[in-house]
Amino acid sequence: MALEMSGEYELPQAREVVWKALNDAEILKKCIPGCETLEKLSDSEFQATVKLSIGPVSARFKGRVKLEDIDAPNGYKIAGEGEGGVAGFAKGFANVALAEAGEGTKLTYKAEAATGGKIAQLGQRLIAGSAKKTADRFFENFVAALQDYK
Amino acid sequence: MPNVTVTVNGKSHTVDVAPETLLVELIREKLRLTGTHVGCDTSQCGACVVHVDGAAVKSCTMLAMSADGATVTTIEGLANGSTLHPMQEAFREHHGLQCGFCTPGMIMTAVDIVNRKGGNLDEHTIRDELEGNICRCTGYHNIVKAVGAGARAMAGGGKSAQAAE
Amino acid sequence: MSATGIGAAVRRKEDQRFITGTGNYTSDITRPGEVRAYFVRSPHAHATIDKIDVSAAKRMPGVVDILTGADLAGDKIGGLICGWAITSKDGTPMKMGAHPAIAADKVRCVGDAVAVVLAETLLQARDAAEAVQVDYGVLPAVVDPAKATAKGAPQLHDVAPNNLIYDWHLGDKAATEAAFAAAKHVTKLDIINNRLVPNAMEPRAAIAEYDQGNDALTLWNTSQNPHVARLVISAFVGMAPEHKLRVIAPDVGGGFGSKIFIYPEEVVALWAARRVKRPVKWVSDRSEAFLTDAHGRDHVTHAELATDANHKITGLRVHTIANIGSYMSTFSSSVPTYLYATLLSGQYAIPAIYAEVDAVYTNTAPVDAYRGAGRPEATFVVERLVEVAARELGLDPAEFRRKNFVTSFPHQTPVIMTYDAGDYDASMTKAMEMIDYKNFGKRKAESEKNGKLRGIGFSTYIEACGIAPSQAVGSLGAGVGLWESAEVRVNPTGSVEILTGSHSHGQGHETTFAQLVSDRLGVPIDTVSIVHGDTDKVQFGMGTYGSRSGAVGMSAISKALDKIEDKAKKVAGYMMEAAADDIEFKDGKFTVKGTDKSVGWGDVTLNAYIAHKFTGGQLEPGLKEGAFYDPTNFTFPAGCHLAEVEIDPETGKITIANWVAVDDFGNIINPMIVEGQVHGGIAQGVGQAMLEGAHYNADGQLVTGSFMDYAMPRAADLPSFKVDTTVTPCPSNPLGIKGCGEAGAIASPAALINAITNAVGHENVPMPATPSVVWKAAQGGMKKAAE
Repeated sequence: MALEMSGEYELPQAREVVWKALNDAEILKKCIPGCETLEKLSDSEFQATVKLSIGPVSARFKGRVKLEDIDAPNGYKIAGEGEGGVAGFAKGFANVALAEAGEGTKLTYKAEAATGGKIAQLGQRLIAGSAKKTADRFFENFVAALQDYK
Repeated sequence: MPNVTVTVNGKSHTVDVAPETLLVELIREKLRLTGTHVGCDTSQCGACVVHVDGAAVKSCTMLAMSADGATVTTIEGLANGSTLHPMQEAFREHHGLQCGFCTPGMIMTAVDIVNRKGGNLDEHTIRDELEGNICRCTGYHNIVKAVGAGARAMAGGGKSAQAAE
Repeated sequence: MSATGIGAAVRRKEDQRFITGTGNYTSDITRPGEVRAYFVRSPHAHATIDKIDVSAAKRMPGVVDILTGADLAGDKIGGLICGWAITSKDGTPMKMGAHPAIAADKVRCVGDAVAVVLAETLLQARDAAEAVQVDYGVLPAVVDPAKATAKGAPQLHDVAPNNLIYDWHLGDKAATEAAFAAAKHVTKLDIINNRLVPNAMEPRAAIAEYDQGNDALTLWNTSQNPHVARLVISAFVGMAPEHKLRVIAPDVGGGFGSKIFIYPEEVVALWAARRVKRPVKWVSDRSEAFLTDAHGRDHVTHAELATDANHKITGLRVHTIANIGSYMSTFSSSVPTYLYATLLSGQYAIPAIYAEVDAVYTNTAPVDAYRGAGRPEATFVVERLVEVAARELGLDPAEFRRKNFVTSFPHQTPVIMTYDAGDYDASMTKAMEMIDYKNFGKRKAESEKNGKLRGIGFSTYIEACGIAPSQAVGSLGAGVGLWESAEVRVNPTGSVEILTGSHSHGQGHETTFAQLVSDRLGVPIDTVSIVHGDTDKVQFGMGTYGSRSGAVGMSAISKALDKIEDKAKKVAGYMMEAAADDIEFKDGKFTVKGTDKSVGWGDVTLNAYIAHKFTGGQLEPGLKEGAFYDPTNFTFPAGCHLAEVEIDPETGKITIANWVAVDDFGNIINPMIVEGQVHGGIAQGVGQAMLEGAHYNADGQLVTGSFMDYAMPRAADLPSFKVDTTVTPCPSNPLGIKGCGEAGAIASPAALINAITNAVGHENVPMPATPSVVWKAAQGGMKKAAE
């Protein structure tokens, strides 16, 4: 995997609340940038359609989102993989860890992403930026979604 | 399908095109003017340069519909009947082409450079201005010579490139 | 010299159509009822194909058919082959994996075709391609040739364990080891010859048409050698018998080697046209070209040079790992072997040379001949070693070279080649004068005053061209002979058609070949037409590559012209009632020796056809002759390129201040065209040395896959070049021609890197020497100087 990213967020909500949200399909759908559909296949697996554009290539990726290494309420690995037809493929995962921090929760993540096919060939110089932006936006969306989450 | 009216090389055409049709596709496939070439798919190579309302445009970067009402000149329309344009003449005289594939775009760009910068071009200016046109054969040496000579010939009122040397 | 004869800078005849936009390239052609083909290609570098579902895509608007590798196998269409057999050290043959035109079970590089969509329009074909569902089982990939043979590396082809295609060697190992054991000084270098994408400006294209009534196929393609394409597609792929397949390569927009090879798309177009019974047109877009055109170079080399106390080179040894990519392209095996190691003697008398080459598979596009093909890699090794050795020994690089030049001919090297003629000192001396070598120090001091670094670099290169004597290459493993053919058809009115097996894709054959005819027959070049590129018109020919069209192709024409002249003299003899032996032919006039009796060319050609002056028993009517010319040796163009650079140590920006090339191409037909070939070659070599590099990431994704990321030389990257020649005629062909097409690309990378390393003061400057590389090198060099 070519790209590595990491980040850290301080959240006012309690760890249990954050953990619940991280496992909520509706929340995930709202937070995954470009997510158009997210259907639950099991407690830990979803079928997704995500629209992504990187540089001159934009495509609708169809694939799966899986939750692995589930360690409630300390964290999990969220992994996604999608085929975008002629545009190629995109895949990535984030290891998300939750730690109690006073009243609230500290969320840290380490993510990796890779692309292939036309999206890698033509969008190469933009991929690092796009992937970072996608990861940031997911967690920003997540922080926002938590505000009125119970 | 929407239609587009363009005047190409002095002749008006009204053509049905799919909205995503590029100007170069209109020129090559609908009008069958195949002198304008496609050398890349990222608007880098300049093989597709034509003049739209008098200015050089990469015709792979423009939608055909955006050219509605425009006047387009392609390489086929540059000569005056059987009399070559001085820039065409200069490319032949100075061996400014080998395989010929980039040549139409080069010539159309060169004419545009002269239109914008005048007939007295130094080597540095010519090389800088050719930034958007790639040639794989000539190493540019003779293209630069040809553009300089063609520019002088154009400024001299269409005298042959050789006479302007 | 006549205004249009040999040696004249005749303006090109073919230019009229190119400057007016009336050329006829393959993609300009449309056939009635054609469908457009679009390939579905693997986004993975290495994967099993688990399932392909085309059902939804087939229902899309405009779709005529969608074909897969299973369909191809079902129709028993054969795979593509490599036509040059190389034998490993242990005597085993090279290990060639199957190369189906559409992958059925496994993909081995990004861009491998897995299906082809045929639709009424290109847009419809593209849209339907989006709907083809392919399930891949992704496998780990290997892209670095130096890692391909490592334990645990992903395996590409079952027939090639450890991804090793061959481990080959050339030269006398024991003698070379003895030379190194006795050496006073040994120079060592590790070199990566960077991978390049040829990028002819015209992307490849193929149009195939099936004639049901005659069960015959026609292919228009972007080929440097249509007869070879027909032979391979017929005899190995098994598409159709040779006489039922016509291949036409019309105007071709540059090749540089990449259009020699037989590619999957041409095979698929033919097969699909026969299946759907409609013409099939495929035009590569540039993104596809980056992934599927055969790439060039990609060597990892360790090289050593031994010298004695008198500064004589006593030995050279190299070990090279050559990346062949995912499949063996048409001539891929010959490039890092017989086109490479045989040139490792350079311009020098070296008593002992030993080369070992390991060719490996990786999950990258196939690698094959690209302008120079093996010889640029060899020249880079030799000229870097020699330059660095001179620096280590504290000698002027020119003096060290002079001391070691081959000076008497013929010269047998320890690596097969027999150099037939040359004067290496002459070209180097002339180049040094042209660049004002003796005042370089002053210019360097001037640059230093301005905070800039200045360097000068030599490259005294040699190449083996005029490819090649058939028996010799046959003994080295070639599957074909490398002669050339010509037919001269003289019409009753005296105009001349030359049918040549050579193919012009920028070289200007329509002009230079006509110059030869004009010179020999005394006819204006306007009355000579050159016919090439159509297997139905032209007799079998071998095509254009390896700087062979002058030395081999024109020699064939020259041989046929000899026959024309003989026959025409006979006709003239009957016309003037004289013996043919008494007829002199000069400037288009036949004269009875010692008399003022003469007849003109047009009279003779007409009489050859009306046949009123002789009977059928005396002479056959007509005036048409053919010849096949097989060269007696390779030719050995050689010369000296000198590069002078100024470097800004703060930014790493290189300015090429001066470039001088003095080449010995033997006799020259058209100096204007020859200079153009040199300019273009230098640009490609400079591109390799400071701009271009094809880079795959560890997953096997080509991350330099467009002109946005792969730096092609542009006008502002290059200077004007000072080009001149010296001449030692080639003794191995009737015209004394050596060939000029590849010299620039062969000579220039070493000259530029030698100049940059000279400027920065140390040797670690990998290609491409981008500003960041040069900046690091300049910083390192300055540190070294301060220590």
